[in-house]
Amino acid sequence: MQEPWYLPLADEVRLFEAAYEARLPVLLKGPTGCGKTRFIEHMAWRLYRQIDSPRRGLEVPLITVACHEDLSATDLVGRYLLSGDETVWMDGPLTRAVRSGAICYLDEVVEARKDTTVVVHSLTDHRRVLPIEKTGELLDAHPDFLLVISYNPGYQSVLKDLKPSTRQRFVSLDFSYPGIDIEATIIAHESGVDPALARRLAVVGEKVRNLREHGFEEGVSTRLLVYAAQLAAGGIEPRRACDVAIARAVTDDAEVQKSIAAIVDVLLP
Amino acid sequence: MISPVTQQHSSDHVCFADIHRLLALFAQGLAGRYLHLKLVEPEDAPRWNARMTDQASIFLPAQIRNFATAQHNLGAYRIAVLHQIGYWVEGTADFDLHHFFAASSRPVLLRRIFFAIEDLRIDTAMRRRYPGARADLERVLAHALANRSAISLMPSLPALIEALVQFSLGAPRAALVAGDSSGLLDGLLDAAAAVQSMDADVHDSARVSLAICAQLEYLGPANEELPAPSIAKTTAVVDGKPDGEFEPGSEDTEHGAALHVEFRGDTASDKAFWRRSGRPFATSTREPPPAAGAVIEERSAGQQTLPVRSSVTAVQPREIAGPRSFLYDEWDYHRQTYLAAWCRVFEHRLRGEEFGFIEDVRRRHSTLAHHVRRQFGFIKPQSWRRVRRTSDGDELELDGLIEAVIDRRTGHASDSHLYVRRDRGLRNVAAAFLVDMSASTDFALPGSATVAKPAGATTQAAPSGLYLYGDHDVPDPVVAPQRRVIDVSKDALALMCDALQALGDSYAIYGFSGDGRDNVEFHVAKDFADKLSLRTWGALAAMQPRRSTRMGAAIRHALGKFARETAGIKVLIIVSDGYPEDHDYGTDRTDREYGIQDTARALWEVERAGITDFCVTIDPAGHDYLRRMCKETRYLVIDDVTALPHELTKIYRTLTAR
Repeated sequence: MQEPWYLPLADEVRLFEAAYEARLPVLLKGPTGCGKTRFIEHMAWRLYRQIDSPRRGLEVPLITVACHEDLSATDLVGRYLLSGDETVWMDGPLTRAVRSGAICYLDEVVEARKDTTVVVHSLTDHRRVLPIEKTGELLDAHPDFLLVISYNPGYQSVLKDLKPSTRQRFVSLDFSYPGIDIEATIIAHESGVDPALARRLAVVGEKVRNLREHGFEEGVSTRLLVYAAQLAAGGIEPRRACDVAIARAVTDDAEVQKSIAAIVDVLLP
Repeated sequence: MISPVTQQHSSDHVCFADIHRLLALFAQGLAGRYLHLKLVEPEDAPRWNARMTDQASIFLPAQIRNFATAQHNLGAYRIAVLHQIGYWVEGTADFDLHHFFAASSRPVLLRRIFFAIEDLRIDTAMRRRYPGARADLERVLAHALANRSAISLMPSLPALIEALVQFSLGAPRAALVAGDSSGLLDGLLDAAAAVQSMDADVHDSARVSLAICAQLEYLGPANEELPAPSIAKTTAVVDGKPDGEFEPGSEDTEHGAALHVEFRGDTASDKAFWRRSGRPFATSTREPPPAAGAVIEERSAGQQTLPVRSSVTAVQPREIAGPRSFLYDEWDYHRQTYLAAWCRVFEHRLRGEEFGFIEDVRRRHSTLAHHVRRQFGFIKPQSWRRVRRTSDGDELELDGLIEAVIDRRTGHASDSHLYVRRDRGLRNVAAAFLVDMSASTDFALPGSATVAKPAGATTQAAPSGLYLYGDHDVPDPVVAPQRRVIDVSKDALALMCDALQALGDSYAIYGFSGDGRDNVEFHVAKDFADKLSLRTWGALAAMQPRRSTRMGAAIRHALGKFARETAGIKVLIIVSDGYPEDHDYGTDRTDREYGIQDTARALWEVERAGITDFCVTIDPAGHDYLRRMCKETRYLVIDDVTALPHELTKIYRTLTAR
């Protein structure tokens, strides 16, 4: 497994390592496309795949669950399945992580049903146990297990905010879009475009984010800037790449699209 | 702006009105702050360039038709915007120009030189910062240069300054020096060229300007036809140090008229720059000018100046006794920012003793009351609900079925409730009615007063006499109270309450008014948690016209009321009789747009919170502002106020029947 490339923005790597050492559950907060998932992949590699890691033997160090509104506690914990004439218990992703000692990453956790967030409560305090109702099992978490959740406070409606009883079980790491220098480095690394164009695209990102009140609250993500750069690296004219990967991706308002295009137009050579 | 050369291209002209929003967004994106794009007034047109930038505005001409294609004319607009935001982006606005000029013995001369140099620096920086705009910039510079006067025809001092301006426009250095009769120009251009360095900042421009000014200071008589636009005189007065160089008769000479460069504007009034230096300039008392250090710190930190927080989160309980008060942000559309904790909303409980109000309403509107109840009776639960694990239903419950099979195979008793049934769900609605209690709701409805003769009364006038009481005393005629807008609103709400009670929806009734941002009144007739009682009717009857209509703050407070409501459908219905208005709703009381924009913003916050809003206005002119405040499907203008109860019923049915 190759090390997932991640450029630290601040002290988040050190904080996460310290949280892991203490087995403190971690909450990653930040806008879409700012690098939360890449960060957790990187941290899983650092903690489980580095040469000196005592956990190198674990086959799957990171189990990611993309949460959605139909995701139930059963989906996380597991269920009985029919197999021929038998009934077979199948662990859900959370249970697999708890047994094996992996990191379980619940992405966009507030999208899941409320019972889902409650089921993790006993895993996030001193008990570190997972009750499996259907089998009657009270599963002690593997010493290496860690629960990580993420959510995006920007666009989630107030109806989907995390309950305090859940929120206050996690160490919270805030993410935001990086500054121009770091973002340019990320864009150049991820796309292969030359540093000058990468920097121009990072400036485009910064300027377009100044318009976030006009119909796209999140601003343009680093991910979209990387997409634009990847298109440019693939031979697409950079303005056209920005048009499809930025202007049209962030808004349907034709005038805002035009103004973004005008910003791109003057910023790119 | 319209030169003989340009008029032939008029068919490809670009109008400001057509691209206003595009340019505003363009400027906001690049500057990182909202800049008000304003049109240069026609009377200023001959010298529209006399002043284009002020506090947070960019002034642009009504149209540009200097170039052959619409694309190039649009490019010229862009260049004008880029150059003017350059004063903020490149640090000019952070520099204490007031003290810089005031310290000079010839402030106007220094000003002229400084801006020739600073514009050169900004255009040079623009080429680096916006490489995609270079072609437009060169075209605009070339056009501006083509319209300049030849320096060989000018006296020495104006010629040297004009040469600096033309140098900044890209005139060939050799040609300029060849036309110089003073022998100073070569050295001046050497000094000016220093600000084209990548590292040059506004301090370098200031340093170069001082050096050039020192060389020119003793050149020629003090008032030697140095071009001086009229704004220079104003500046000298504001500075408190009249500049003796410029007598009234010396202004706007033919040399002076040619000094300015169209797209660059003129920084003579320097409001923005004084603001940065802490000098008060604004008549507004809204907030003190920020300290220069704070602004610089903010900029260096690269902070986003455009706020992203919702004002709804700014609710703070008041700490003193008395009616509870809450602070709310207000949206300032001029600056596209929230004014933090700007409005104080006092929440009052309405109390009244007219407990028989509902009986009176039912009596006066017996037919309508029956109609409303009947209409609400038609409202059925708004959604289907899937009921799992039932003994019968439309489809099998797969999970239950699997468990039943497993249980059966493992020898356990199995459950027979293996179906999913679709039932009508219970209504799950929370609705709030927010009623305008401004003074204008005191307006009497035409023909609503009726006069009835008391029994036994005669038409004979009572004779005057010494006695107050006696046979001659004729009772006054019984005059039915004149119906006002507020009365009809109250009747409509009473009928709604009556019907909603039967429907089982959670609902609240609020009124709002106020007197200034520190005293927005929010009156609670019925809260969501209140049970309908005689006290509710008394409170409803106690709604009376009061003062102004600061709608944004009231909406934000109503929004907070929904916080504890868990209903699936939340509806806020606002009943008003006019546009949002208060004496300090914006800096200019006549500016209706401020209140409209704040209200529109508050409604946006409501929508963002997942609440459906709807505005009902009893104002024939309501379309004019409602279409700017609300979506087209979210408002209704009622011409006939007496139709309000009927219309409210329809609106409620529509909004909650999803």
